[in-house]
Amino acid sequence: MTAEADTAHARTRTYKPAMPAGWWLRKRHYFLYMVREFTALPLALWLLWLLFEIYRAGRGASHFYAPSSTPFVIFSVICLLFALYHSFTFLRLAGVILHFKVMDKPVPSALIVASQFGAWLVASIVIGAVLIGFGR
Amino acid sequence: MSAEPKAAQKPALAHLFWWFMFSQGGLFAAVLIPVHILVQGVLGPLGIVRVVDRHYDTWISILGNPIVKLYLLALISLPFFHFAHRLRYLLVDLGVSAAKSTPVQVVFYGGAVVVTLVTIWLLLTVAPLSLG
Repeated sequence: MTAEADTAHARTRTYKPAMPAGWWLRKRHYFLYMVREFTALPLALWLLWLLFEIYRAGRGASHFYAPSSTPFVIFSVICLLFALYHSFTFLRLAGVILHFKVMDKPVPSALIVASQFGAWLVASIVIGAVLIGFGR
Repeated sequence: MSAEPKAAQKPALAHLFWWFMFSQGGLFAAVLIPVHILVQGVLGPLGIVRVVDRHYDTWISILGNPIVKLYLLALISLPFFHFAHRLRYLLVDLGVSAAKSTPVQVVFYGGAVVVTLVTIWLLLTVAPLSLG
């Protein structure tokens, strides 16, 4: 290799695709993809609030109060909508990702997805029963 | 046999670990979080149902249960590894190429580790262990 060719090789630039800032607003599918990615933020905020609730319990009965304000309920409702969207999109993926056979026959993806949603329902009933059952 | 093919077959354990945390965090978030938000964030505050975290005595009592402590650790910690990955790639998709850099990876995944450590510390210090 000549010195010129060597220099030209070193100067080879990496192709960087330039996407316009609003690319995800062009199509409904792109927008929903970005909403799915964004669900992480409200869910993280709500879990941080739960962590704060645990911290407040450690400060003693005199510092404790149960949040009941309208802004808090609105915040929770917004987080719940994003949480449900995350659940639907994530659990539906199981039908695409999981492939296995029972008695040498492939399990239909619809059945796998149904089992995921069934597990979600059972878990929600059990957790809901504990949260409500231990309340007064 | 030369050493080269063996080196090429070396499993990417770090990659495996972070993808495992991402997928498990996503699953935990999908299955567990909605009912907590519905009951603790909406139905309880609206007074529709009695909820364990509405009174100090019931809340501190259930926080002392070791199974509840382990459950809350999984509920809070694992999803943050999922969130870290999603939010970092959200920034990449929005054109923030710096989100691919190692320092930003350290901030996001390190944030999930910090949340885990804080959760462990709170669960160990807030309520004494009790099986009652």
